[in-house]
Amino acid sequence: MNVLLIEINPFAPASPPISLGYIASFLKSKGFTVKILTLGEDTSVSRAGLHQLVSSFQPALVGLTAYQRTMLYVIGLARFIKSVNTNIKIAIGGPQATFMPSVAFAELPEIDYISRSSGEVTLLGIARAIENGTPFSDLSGVTYKNASGAVYETADLEGFADLDSYPSPYLDDVFDYSCMSEAIMLTSRGCPHHCIYCYTPHAFKHKVSFHSVDRVIEEIRWIRKKGVRRLWFADPNISFKPARLIGLLDRILTKGLETEMWLQTRADLVNPEVMKKMKRAGVSTIAFGLESASERVLTKLGKHISVQTVAKAISLAQSEDIEVELFTIFGLPYETFEDALKTLEFVKKNNVKIMGNTNSQQMQIYFGTHMARKYEKYNIRPLNTNRPVYLSIGCQYETDHMAYSDIQKIQALWRAHSRDRGRRIVS
Amino acid sequence: MALRPQATEGSGRENRFARNNTMVKPGLQKIYVILGKQDEGQLERLCRTLSSLFSYVNLTSNLYLVTGNLPEGMPWVERIQKDVSAFLRGNLFARLYVHFVHRVPQAVTEEIDFYFQYYYQSLKRATREFDQEGYMHQEVPRLMLLPVIVPDNEVEPASLMGLLDMLKSAFLLPSLYLDMGTFFLAQDEDLLARTEKVYYGHGNSGEPAEIVCNLYHQDIVHDSSAKLESDAVFMTDPCPPALIVSARDGMVYPCIDAFLKKESLANIYENLSVDDIMARYYEHGNSQRDCLGCREGVVESFSDLPLPKAATHEVGGLLYHFGTLNQEAENHVRAIENYKKSLRLSPIEEAASICFRLGLSHTRTGHHDQALEAFNRAAPTYHDQDYFHFHTGLCYFERGDYRMALERFSRAVRLKPQQEDLVRILIYMGTCHNSLGEYEEALVELERAKETAGPVKEIFNTLGFSYFQLKDYDKAIENLTRAVEIDPYSAIDYASLGSSYREKGNIKMAIAMYEKALTLDPNMISARENLERLKGQP
Repeated sequence: MNVLLIEINPFAPASPPISLGYIASFLKSKGFTVKILTLGEDTSVSRAGLHQLVSSFQPALVGLTAYQRTMLYVIGLARFIKSVNTNIKIAIGGPQATFMPSVAFAELPEIDYISRSSGEVTLLGIARAIENGTPFSDLSGVTYKNASGAVYETADLEGFADLDSYPSPYLDDVFDYSCMSEAIMLTSRGCPHHCIYCYTPHAFKHKVSFHSVDRVIEEIRWIRKKGVRRLWFADPNISFKPARLIGLLDRILTKGLETEMWLQTRADLVNPEVMKKMKRAGVSTIAFGLESASERVLTKLGKHISVQTVAKAISLAQSEDIEVELFTIFGLPYETFEDALKTLEFVKKNNVKIMGNTNSQQMQIYFGTHMARKYEKYNIRPLNTNRPVYLSIGCQYETDHMAYSDIQKIQALWRAHSRDRGRRIVS
Repeated sequence: MALRPQATEGSGRENRFARNNTMVKPGLQKIYVILGKQDEGQLERLCRTLSSLFSYVNLTSNLYLVTGNLPEGMPWVERIQKDVSAFLRGNLFARLYVHFVHRVPQAVTEEIDFYFQYYYQSLKRATREFDQEGYMHQEVPRLMLLPVIVPDNEVEPASLMGLLDMLKSAFLLPSLYLDMGTFFLAQDEDLLARTEKVYYGHGNSGEPAEIVCNLYHQDIVHDSSAKLESDAVFMTDPCPPALIVSARDGMVYPCIDAFLKKESLANIYENLSVDDIMARYYEHGNSQRDCLGCREGVVESFSDLPLPKAATHEVGGLLYHFGTLNQEAENHVRAIENYKKSLRLSPIEEAASICFRLGLSHTRTGHHDQALEAFNRAAPTYHDQDYFHFHTGLCYFERGDYRMALERFSRAVRLKPQQEDLVRILIYMGTCHNSLGEYEEALVELERAKETAGPVKEIFNTLGFSYFQLKDYDKAIENLTRAVEIDPYSAIDYASLGSSYREKGNIKMAIAMYEKALTLDPNMISARENLERLKGQP
């Protein structure tokens, strides 16, 4: 049986979708034929090309990654695929799907399944049910519709705690290396923290799971052999276990696998020893989450980090000649216009270039976050109450402390200070 | 939050992953349409063609509608916009930017309100459903109307600003097209700050065909920059998939090169389906057009335009790259032209590397004075590079200034070049000393080369020459014999052996060597004369 996995994001350049890579590798290991299609702003493909691809590959199941800002495009693709062949089943997964309310099905007639748990295991269940014609009620981690449109939610499902149980999309050559200049690595998943605006801790139930260092090293060696010379680590906190990170960096150094790397971590999880090793191993850029330079605002976010800690981490990285990126957010609860200005000033004062990921963005209230559930408690006022059910509040809100016009002013200020007109690749 | 590192539109980097991951024929990124006069039949046919072509455009694509003047083009634009809307309504995954390119005479900018209400308001109204859809989905609309204003040369910047402000306030983000008649407007920073983009072009006719040419050319420059930044190897690729459709005569062209050469794919006013046109288009994509040559020509044509600093530097960088390509292809005359223009357009920090390359090409064309002048300009940056002193020395060498050449070669040696380079430099030094009659000094350099390199023919024959001049014929014979062992087809070395044997008094061997030299090169006059002289002796 053929499975087509698609990620569409017309607002960013196409890049290898690591999550779909894992699912593809897992399904392949279970006997399915899988193809991945990534549609970015620079992907050269037309409606006719898509038709040709779907008609010739004849997938029985199509999996679409859903994000808040790509939902319209996901629906469009689903509609198009059904127009090619109504028998093709369509599942959506990813950040927008995990906590999307089931009533959204009413506005998503082309979608057959919402995958809410570990993508690999959930999609395998769906694929097997389609292949064997077994009842959907046997599935886990899924919301589905029956023929008459009634919606059913199945029991939750846990993914593997040991990430090595998932086959490697790199070692299985799921991606075409000839067109890959950079590989995205995911050596750990999840986050134990409680930042009120973040989706990740809730999606992973505040747990963190890991690949072994052996597996990561094996992947790096293979990727390098294939000619890829830049690694981008998507782990939310790669230094969550400092000893593991040091072990990984040591192995990179002793095996001669030094490679240009980008990674992100918490500012309170770095120290001079780690930073020195990172530099030697090839880390060219490190990203920290500052969010706000107002201590008062920061304490409300549940991040449990101080502005001073972030400043120290920046200085540490810069002393090793590692480029720093800072994630910042405006429009936060309790944040005033002056607080937001303070964040901009902090970034400038600490000599972090305002471009790429350092371009600040407005807080997005996504499904599954603490903020989405309790927005009223934080005096957040949604601006559009008629939005589609499959979308969360997102950026359409104002707060007691900042009117929407203030939020726009701050956005314009950041853009004015930006070296690249505020272009940022959003998650 | 997991965010991708920046690889932004602003940086213009070409994305290799995006190029290849779909495994299907590429979609058209741009369609340029030259709108016609008011002819219902033509309009109908054009709209039918475009509606079918939309299936072949990229998921995010651009449609340029170019008209001579607004009243003439308006019915066309309104009708095409309806078809665009219908396509987007049926394909929620697609986005289209419609660039409406038209002239704006001074008279118009004096009556902005009327102009805006009469023309743009209705266009904007038609996009409202997409604005609403974008708002509901918290994203930019899938249909964007982006006017490109072509001002006439009498336009007042202040009144033009009024129009741009009005368009911007209605979220019709305006761009400006400047040609030879309106470049003066580029001096007005306030005006430029109100634009999304500024297009620059040759000519000043304001004719749609000329405008299309210039828009396309500017896209080629940007595409070339993106390719250069990503991986220069892509520079030989065709430019991004695009079509030019002229509603005036119905001709469809697969690229700007074909448009300028009037090599059309099809005529939309004849009974040919869009599928057939596109089949021809993809066939054309596989044909052997000189895309690299076209790129170079286009970039070069921008070198004479009064572009803003950033764009000037962009063109300068590209010309430098084309210079290196021409240099590698041994086309030094073209390379020199590229480098000279690049030098004029690039930032001062780039001057040294351009000058160094320029010096190399001047050396290869025998213009040694110009080469030395270029090398001198590169010297502050390259003074600690052995290869710089070697090439400067080589230039003096070829000019016959052996003393200066020796001085430069010595500097190169002091900078500890790699072994292979060191040997090459030492041989040149030996040759310089020989040319200056300093045979003992030549021996020092050449013996050092021999120690470093092992069997290299040039070392032995130069040593042979030095020893011959010092009348040490045994040593000369020893080294020249080694030279012919390494290269048994070297006529000159056999001839030198002949001379060495002759001086030693071994006439029999001398004759044998001259005869061998003449067998390998029957035209070697000196060998023939020496042979005849020896045979003529009693």
